[in-house]
Amino acid sequence: MHKDAESTNITRIETFINIVTGWHFFLSFAGLILLFFIIFKQLFSNLPSWLMFIGTISIIFLVGTSFFAGIQLRKRTRVGRTISLVINYLGFIFSFIALLQVLGVFLGVDALAKTFGSGIGWLAGVLAGYLIHAAGDQFHFRIQIEELFRKIGKYIALVFFTIFLFRVGLIKALIYLGKQIIIPTNLMIAFLVILFGIAIWLMWREETGIYLHRNNAQTEALEGYLFLSPNLLGFLIFFAFPLVFSFYISLTDWDAFGNSNFIGLANYLTIFRLNLKPLASATQNFIQVMDGSIYSELLRFNLFGKYFVLGAADARFWISLRNTLVFCIVTVPLSAIPALLLSNILNSKIPGMKIFRAIYFLPSIAAVVGISLIWQWLYNATIGYINYFITLGLQFINSIFATSYPIALIRWLSESRTALLAIIIVSAWQTMGFNTVLFMAGLQNIPKELYEAATVDGAGRWAKFWKITLPLLAPTTFFVITTTTIQALQVFEQVFIMTNPPGSPGTSTLTIVLYLYQNGFQRFQQGYGAAIAWVLFIVIFAVTLLQFRSQRRTGAYDV
Amino acid sequence: MNQKFIASLIVVLVTFSMLLAACQPAPAAAPEEPVQPAAEEITLRWRTRPDNQAEIDVYSSVSAELDGAMEGVTLVYEPGGSETSSYQDVLKTEIGAGTAPDVFWIPGTDIADFATRGLIMDLKSMADKTDGFKTTDFYSGPMYHMTFNPTTGKTGEALWGLPRDVSTFVLYLNLDLIAEAGADDPRELAKAGKWDWDAFLDVSKKVSELGSDVYGYGANAWWGPYGVWINSAGGGFFNADRTACALDTPEAIEGLTFERKLYVEEKVAVPYGEDSEPPFLAGKVGMFQNGRWATPGTRANANFTWDVVELPMGPEGMGNWLFWGAYVVNAKTQHPEEAWKLVQMLTTAETQGKISALGTNIPSRVSQAALDSFLTFTPPDNNQAFLNGIAEASNPTAEGPLWAGSWPNYDSIMGPMISKVLNGEMTIDEYKQSICVEANKAFTQ
Repeated sequence: MHKDAESTNITRIETFINIVTGWHFFLSFAGLILLFFIIFKQLFSNLPSWLMFIGTISIIFLVGTSFFAGIQLRKRTRVGRTISLVINYLGFIFSFIALLQVLGVFLGVDALAKTFGSGIGWLAGVLAGYLIHAAGDQFHFRIQIEELFRKIGKYIALVFFTIFLFRVGLIKALIYLGKQIIIPTNLMIAFLVILFGIAIWLMWREETGIYLHRNNAQTEALEGYLFLSPNLLGFLIFFAFPLVFSFYISLTDWDAFGNSNFIGLANYLTIFRLNLKPLASATQNFIQVMDGSIYSELLRFNLFGKYFVLGAADARFWISLRNTLVFCIVTVPLSAIPALLLSNILNSKIPGMKIFRAIYFLPSIAAVVGISLIWQWLYNATIGYINYFITLGLQFINSIFATSYPIALIRWLSESRTALLAIIIVSAWQTMGFNTVLFMAGLQNIPKELYEAATVDGAGRWAKFWKITLPLLAPTTFFVITTTTIQALQVFEQVFIMTNPPGSPGTSTLTIVLYLYQNGFQRFQQGYGAAIAWVLFIVIFAVTLLQFRSQRRTGAYDV
Repeated sequence: MNQKFIASLIVVLVTFSMLLAACQPAPAAAPEEPVQPAAEEITLRWRTRPDNQAEIDVYSSVSAELDGAMEGVTLVYEPGGSETSSYQDVLKTEIGAGTAPDVFWIPGTDIADFATRGLIMDLKSMADKTDGFKTTDFYSGPMYHMTFNPTTGKTGEALWGLPRDVSTFVLYLNLDLIAEAGADDPRELAKAGKWDWDAFLDVSKKVSELGSDVYGYGANAWWGPYGVWINSAGGGFFNADRTACALDTPEAIEGLTFERKLYVEEKVAVPYGEDSEPPFLAGKVGMFQNGRWATPGTRANANFTWDVVELPMGPEGMGNWLFWGAYVVNAKTQHPEEAWKLVQMLTTAETQGKISALGTNIPSRVSQAALDSFLTFTPPDNNQAFLNGIAEASNPTAEGPLWAGSWPNYDSIMGPMISKVLNGEMTIDEYKQSICVEANKAFTQ
């Protein structure tokens, strides 16, 4: 009897495995046919070449792995099960996303944002129901009253929730969904989702696993990757792929609208095309020594009594790089050093200190656009508050001390000399609060015994700061410096909002991210913009690498 | 446990229902009571760049009216962001993603880029078959570019859309400040035919003498304001066929030299690069150069007596701009015929009249009735100054695209260099030596 059951069970497992094996061979075959049609341009010929390329590679991969999985399953190996699970899991995810897309769920989410408001008030009723339900707990001693409260609460919540669903358009959604799902293509995708789902279930079953000699390591690995998969897939699709894709774009003259030619490294050559020529005199026009239709003057300088001019095919790139580096070099210490001092002050246990901590942290959580607009007004040369208070201060000093300091309005954002500085002040002010919190977290980790021992040894406040606080804060300092540097090298929003036109006056606030944005989104040069992005990536990578090396030398993280 | 279960159940139910509710199609114009289009109806999305909520409301009501008039078509109006919200950048991204509306508005300077890249539809074949449609119903300046065929290089051989409206520069006057300074009233000078650069400088100087934070003149930092000084001296941005830079011609240099004088030598202007509108509205600027789009803001915020006057005459006339933008049809629209019909309906005299009533725009149709109607939209009292600016006699230069090059590139070279000149960081000679060497690169790109 027991043997019969076991035999039936084995037959069933065999059948399941055979079904999945057949499914994999079918997938390989279907993939081959799809490839045939793609290669002979019978399908998807209107898609961009890069998408065709990626699609073709993916299908080849699917054909190969699915065939391999089929073979391995025929041999009843656990490798076959693993590969089968991975393929079917990926197939399930992608076909499910495709189903959501064709059903219009993603667009529907947008629509929901608009209709949600009309129903949100009814959710208060749901909350009230829940509160009434919870209020029943107060009557443990009278079970009937407790039950009554719970019932009333439950029904109130249910009624209000139903009204809410009507208001946000559930019925319409159901009707729409019904109409969409019966469209043949959509129905086919839904069927595919179910098939992948069944294949996963058949392979995932405990009995199938045991039959195919699964071991603990394999099970743990599969479960681990399953939990990791949302993040891993998100990383691959939304980070790794765009990164690789942007590199491909940087090798083309793509304008974002389908017009694209592969131009190799031409974009990079334009960026790095420089020309150094000697000048006859300091004032000689640069077009007399180099081709003005290619180069623009970037820099002229005196070296050992001889004048030189440096021309660049894209001078604005180099100007933006210089501005960005200046911005970074000044902003990082300006936002880190005051943060360090502030964190030491805020770390003390004075009453009301928590309020100050919140105040200093506020700018870092406020929207950059809002902050930038406010600072733009503050900086206004004629009616801004900053100049107003400077004027008041100078008038006061002149009247008290009988001095005659000239009252000249500082043109914070409209003069090349001050514009970048104005942006630096705002950025440093905004970043300082967050850095302060990081330093405060670092301060909490310093053992108090060290300070007590130092006090016993007669060390003063300053000595304690230099000899204990600063060295032991080194890991935090390293983190603050690195993240602030990366952030500073990517400065964009403040410049974009505060200067008009962005990057002005002249090119004094043109930063590298702003420049790549202008190329990519305003001048229809996505390929060139992508090349600039890659150069910036290399700059950031190099700077960060230097910081890590310097940290290793000083052993900041070894503390 | 029970409570926890109910709370969890609610969370699951809410999430599931949200997902289900998300399956419903995107709502039409009025989200609260979405109108379900009949099965055979088509939906047309259209967008324009409004300057304020009042304009959004008017465009919405225009859309609702046209929706009723267009049989078998449901219109969905999408107010785009303002200029500072990067209207064009968002639009371009949407075009790239294939989600842009069927009909949308773009500035005149963008027409060439959009047309040559195949992003907007040539409507000529449909226009030729349309009874009663004439391109001559609109101002000739914008229509030169709207009918330009980049392949043949000839105008009149295409139709990229129709102008939504036109505008021009005037000087918004703080009459209280001018009176306080004892300067002549610019409106009277204009009437007497004495409103020229010298008279303008005289008024500016007198107003500036009222205080260190008071300025005679103010304008914002973009190509429009400095362009008029160049134009009125007889110069221009480009050569006659718009195939090369002309910013270094003696006429262009004369115009720029005069403007530099206002900023650098005489210091009668709000420093170049500072937004001049806030100080003007705060009563610190005597004459603020801007277009019709500044009227609603001035009406709402100016706490002084104000009016407008046309720009002063330079050596070669007023040199004003004819600003314009146009409704165009997305090249990928599924409903070109309906989109073309919508473009026509959006530019009828009646529709333009409704929008002009807000005070932001001047109708783009050459129609005396439309202009007469425009004059009634006061304040300012002297609306005629706007019309004087666009009159053929004033020979305004139509804002336009660069068919032989890239306007964004040209602008990004010209703007920073002129900014240096007007900030006193570059001499006129240095500018003259290098401007066209650099700006001509925009034609080879």
